[in-house]
Amino acid sequence: MKRRSFVKNGVLFSSSLLLARSSPGQAKPGSEAPPRPAPLGQVVQVKGESPYEIAKRAVAEIGGMGKIISRGDVVMVKPNIGWNRTVEQAACTNPEVLRAVIELAFDAGAKKVVVMDNTCHKAEDCYQRSGIEAMARKLGAEVRYCDENRLVVHDFKGEVLSKWPIFRDFLEVDKFINVPILKHHGSSGLTIAMKNLYGILGGNRGKLHRDMGENIAELAGGFRSHLVVVDAFRVLLRNGPVGGRLSDVELRRTVIASTHILHADVAAAVLFGKDPREIEFLQAAYAKKMGEIDIAKIPVKALTV
Amino acid sequence: MNAKTSRRLQRLRVLSQFFFTVLFFFLLLKSGGALIEHLPQTGFFFYIDPLFLWVNFLAGPFFHAFLLALVPVLLTLVFGRFFCGWICPLGALNQFFTWLGSRRGRKKIAVERNALRWKYLLLIVLLVASLFASQLLGWLDPFALLTRSGSVALIPGANFLTQHALQSGGQSQGWAGKIVKPLYDLSRRFLLTVRQRTFLQASAIGLLFCGLLLMNLYRRRFFCNSLCPLGAVYGFLARYSLLRLRLNDDCRKCGACSNHCTYYGSPFQDYLKSECVLCLNCLTDCPFAAIDPRFDLPRSGKRPALDLGRRTMLAAAGCGLAVAALPQIGVAKKAKTHPFIRPPGAVAEKDFLKKCVRCGACLQACPTNAIHPAVFQAGLEGIWTPILIPVNGYCEYECVRCTRVCPTHALASLTLEEKKQFKIGTAVINRSTCYTYADGYNCAVCEEHCPVPEKAIRFREVEVYNFRGKLKKVKQIYVVPDLCIGCGICENVCPRTDAPAITVGAEEEQRENAF
Repeated sequence: MKRRSFVKNGVLFSSSLLLARSSPGQAKPGSEAPPRPAPLGQVVQVKGESPYEIAKRAVAEIGGMGKIISRGDVVMVKPNIGWNRTVEQAACTNPEVLRAVIELAFDAGAKKVVVMDNTCHKAEDCYQRSGIEAMARKLGAEVRYCDENRLVVHDFKGEVLSKWPIFRDFLEVDKFINVPILKHHGSSGLTIAMKNLYGILGGNRGKLHRDMGENIAELAGGFRSHLVVVDAFRVLLRNGPVGGRLSDVELRRTVIASTHILHADVAAAVLFGKDPREIEFLQAAYAKKMGEIDIAKIPVKALTV
Repeated sequence: MNAKTSRRLQRLRVLSQFFFTVLFFFLLLKSGGALIEHLPQTGFFFYIDPLFLWVNFLAGPFFHAFLLALVPVLLTLVFGRFFCGWICPLGALNQFFTWLGSRRGRKKIAVERNALRWKYLLLIVLLVASLFASQLLGWLDPFALLTRSGSVALIPGANFLTQHALQSGGQSQGWAGKIVKPLYDLSRRFLLTVRQRTFLQASAIGLLFCGLLLMNLYRRRFFCNSLCPLGAVYGFLARYSLLRLRLNDDCRKCGACSNHCTYYGSPFQDYLKSECVLCLNCLTDCPFAAIDPRFDLPRSGKRPALDLGRRTMLAAAGCGLAVAALPQIGVAKKAKTHPFIRPPGAVAEKDFLKKCVRCGACLQACPTNAIHPAVFQAGLEGIWTPILIPVNGYCEYECVRCTRVCPTHALASLTLEEKKQFKIGTAVINRSTCYTYADGYNCAVCEEHCPVPEKAIRFREVEVYNFRGKLKKVKQIYVVPDLCIGCGICENVCPRTDAPAITVGAEEEQRENAF
């Protein structure tokens, strides 16, 4: 059996199962582009007017959510909800991008979708002001706050970052989807998907700012993101990561998707206008042989809808 | 009045007490964590308090909302101390605990007759002191006391206990876990704070409050009878009120009416309108339905009242003068420095101490748990005034909640835009402990969190020899004092575990000149 026909049959089979559940997303099989096998480490970069549409398209182009999620999976969707800021201020993931990811996850048969982040500002404020809590609840996802009683020590098996407290919730899911926002970050240069993983950690996270590049790389190496969807619709270009001033925000109307976290971050860095080699954590991840740092060597598929 | 009507009235009284107590705690609970737009009007209970009217009258500028306090004052001239018996939530709690204590049936809870006078004398002390600089009415005012104790001790305490009870229950396997787990999830979503709130003086204020409640088991409504300055105001007014409990011809002078009276008076021998809170227990206790509430026109002649004693009153006034003067002549009053920062909108310190009623509404409203009741940081008269403690919480950039709930505008009401400009202090870096100076490696957590859009905390890349003697490029942190508003998030997030390497002090705070 060819891989193509295997995937095709698999999708047909699972959609027939989904039809029995009369899920609206799968009721129209033509609505989504048929998944094609993507090259290893491929990055898809979609530009368009609607953050929701381009996020959906980007995930479809990478091979579809069905490739990542199995039926009955418990899926963790981890946006950046770090700050008490609005969508326009572009410090937290756009809820529309999140909407696309959550909908696709449910359509692909996820049993449960959990949304949570360990925020920097007061959690309740961040969840509400970013619009993420309301959006996730509306879609039927479970919104959790980080509960310090659920911290466990996890071994990331790195040289700099080994044992560190992590919220058990992140270990108790089947799939982890990393949905960061691309923005400026004072000390690390940029914050994208790898840096977004700080949000799964507890403890005195400030301590990780020493050797930050190494820490970020080893964190991303020690904790798998099954899918990365980078929100680069509104991009905070200066005074990140908290920002606040609208003049620092620029519309880039892009979403980047990949199953390869380093490649997604490299592509996002290039989109931002930085040389990936100048970003410490990308350099560190490259040195650890996590993937390519040269954008020319990464299969990037860019399209505009 | 016949037994049926009496009982109905008594039940109505209990219902009213219950209603106002629940309302009070509901508003207080809601004011924590609510979005600014949904912040409840916790001010209601403060605006109907004549003591706060007095504070505002003295400190100015006058806020019309306080005219509401004239309503209970006028009603007291008609009905007597109904407020203490029917409305006051602290009175309700005291009554409840007295009731609990007397239900054990072992002994009758006593009333110290002599101690009924204390509250009037205390009121004299506090009022005289308030004429000068010291405004300490809030220490004992029931609403300030209950709000403060609720914010600092009761609500966080209940939060802790609920959290731990439900959490450990929810983790158990089997049916108990199945029942408790959803309860835990629900309460986490709607009731509990994500992070446990912690307060300076939580134990002190909590124990004080527990002590006051426990006193009810030894002395009937101890606080209301002996300490409450608001009760004293109403007691004074009640002497001239129209409503009185009169005896009809059925009275056999059995004395049953005094059985559950809050001050053990009886309408036939030592009826004191100033002490009667209209709990109406005597109506239901009377076996002969011999007591009738009646409206009487004020009569000339002697009204039975507590004898405070002219000399004692003069002594109390003298004490008031001492209370007013002594804190003013401490050496701290001349110092240019002070070891605390106040929440945004705080008026100049001198006025602040006059306006603030130490109620602690701001403590509860602060979303990040940054505001705390001072111990001695602000001097003796500053006990329980709000100060910011950045290691516990920071002043949220997008928030004006504390300035909205402050009943006396000691924290002037600010718009969000004004607040973002309002400088409550300035951050200072301790170069002997900051990682970027002392150890020669990058950190910048404070820079990352600085909420000022232009960044009041920045770094410059320099080459330094680190502690291994190696030449290294380091991003060294510095503060731009003109941009810093003193929110304290930098101090809050500094990763050092001994002491923060960046701290916020009152340097350049704008309030001294702002209002």
